[in-house]
Amino acid sequence: MKKEELIEKAFEVRKNVLKMAQIDKKGFIAQGVGAADFLTVLYFYAMKYRPEDPKWEGRDRFLLSAGHNAIAVYAAMAEAGIIPKEELDTYGLDNSRLPMSSMPAYTPGIEISGGSIGLGLPIAVGMALGLKKKGSDARVYVMMGDGELAEGPVWEAAMSAGSYKLNNIIALVDVNGIQADGKTSTVLDTEPLTDKFKAFNFYVQRIDGNSISALMTAIDNAKASAEEKPSVILCDTVPGKGIPFLIGDPKSHFISLNDEGWVRAYQELERGEN
Amino acid sequence: MGKPGIQSVISDSNIENNHPTADAPFGRTLIELAKENDKIVGLSADLAKYTDIHVFRDAYPDRFYNVGMSEQLLMCAAGGLAKEGFIPFATTYASFIARRCYDFISQAICEHNSNVKIIGGLPGLQSGYGPSHQATDDLAILGAMPNLMIIDPCDAVEVAQATRAMAEYDGPVYMRLLRGNRVPMVLDRYDYKFELGKAKVLREGNDALMISTGLMTMRCLDAAEILEQDNIHVAVLHVPTIKPLDQETILNEVKKSGRLVITAENHTIVGGLGSLVASLLMDEKVSCDLKKIALPDQYLAAGTLEALQDTYGVSTKAIIRQVRDWVK
Repeated sequence: MKKEELIEKAFEVRKNVLKMAQIDKKGFIAQGVGAADFLTVLYFYAMKYRPEDPKWEGRDRFLLSAGHNAIAVYAAMAEAGIIPKEELDTYGLDNSRLPMSSMPAYTPGIEISGGSIGLGLPIAVGMALGLKKKGSDARVYVMMGDGELAEGPVWEAAMSAGSYKLNNIIALVDVNGIQADGKTSTVLDTEPLTDKFKAFNFYVQRIDGNSISALMTAIDNAKASAEEKPSVILCDTVPGKGIPFLIGDPKSHFISLNDEGWVRAYQELERGEN
Repeated sequence: MGKPGIQSVISDSNIENNHPTADAPFGRTLIELAKENDKIVGLSADLAKYTDIHVFRDAYPDRFYNVGMSEQLLMCAAGGLAKEGFIPFATTYASFIARRCYDFISQAICEHNSNVKIIGGLPGLQSGYGPSHQATDDLAILGAMPNLMIIDPCDAVEVAQATRAMAEYDGPVYMRLLRGNRVPMVLDRYDYKFELGKAKVLREGNDALMISTGLMTMRCLDAAEILEQDNIHVAVLHVPTIKPLDQETILNEVKKSGRLVITAENHTIVGGLGSLVASLLMDEKVSCDLKKIALPDQYLAAGTLEALQDTYGVSTKAIIRQVRDWVK
């Protein structure tokens, strides 16, 4: 997909996020719309997969490590045709295939359970080793949050991925700067992220995670890199991106809106990068 | 005099009671299995040499991954390899598996019924290093994990048979490992074949029924022979699969007569075989006199194994002492 089409697609993904959050009148709205751009680039530019056959052996694997952000992934998967769009209306409800925290037993296209934070990169190490052993050229994409980087096993995995030169891993960190107890910088400062991942032998890029063109370039670079290293793309995102009045909300980790707020959110919802 | 007890503190062997021994039965069986099935891979967290998987590593270096001292990663990477269709055997010490890796085994392996085999060295009281290395609580902890099969083998013969059986079984398994170059062999003298989920009577006797698991079965068999000389006749029911428990065989044996029932395990008295048997008997309204041989609910001392096992009541001698007191 071309840049202009991707911008349109990201707009649709944001609309899906809003629609799903409205079911319970609250949720991970700010992160969901903030992650819409890089998820759009993943599903419509970077990854190979077959929507009708989510377990296709040749697919690129996508691991949502921070399962709380399932809302954004479902929103993108519905656009990608992996799940029917009308099913988004069941998000978080009883007997739904779309639980609030993602699990493979529930949802086609979900590879791992992401509720317990910090497991994505460690599992990716095993999958990447396995893919190399099988001679597959499939890649493992891992979506993490910046708050998640406080989890020790992330760094066990980073050390291993660097040591085993797993250049079939492309990790994306959604650096949105917020977590349950407040700003990431005040809860536990995870910076300097570039230096940290470089020290663990990663090929590191840090970009504006809401810029479709920057994301496209970063994916191209990661794929083309001749370095025998795992790749990480540090995506600085703005929580609430696309819904101006939500940006900067101190409670943006888990937002509740009243009826008026919903009307305003839809009215103000914007396209991303112009 | 040399340094006291160094050999037995380190416990690179379980040699006792002068049984014949075998070298690294787990690792050697894994090599045989790997010849037959190219999906088998091995992993360890810097303890290959001490969990007998080093022989597999040397035979199949391109199918072995050392992840360093990263036990949480070990479990997740094994889960990832299983997702890609491999049959990973992941080894470290049992205390780290049970205490450090619980969430990772749960979320990366057992929730998805992934085909990972987890092998834990130094189960129960098999190290004199103190509580850090004494996995006295692994059966209780891991027993709460849905989908996880748990095996506590008796000797080298059973370690080999169980390794083969778990490779053929599609699902997560935890096995307590008896390791080293002198792992005792006992069961070859009995008409015995390991089967997943099956408990088996190894010896008949009318005075007491010992229901035992792991290397305690070897000690119970040795104790039973000596007790025979005192005219105390002890039956031994071996329960190598802790989960799922062979409830039918246990109930049938307990119901057979008014024998004293004694459970024996290399594990804390909390939440292991003794607790499972007691709970089963109560659930099924089967009444009997029940005694438990197990480690106490304490952090155990450091020291030499022989002395520790005797102090805490799980040595062959201690079993004989307790049974004599109870049967009198």
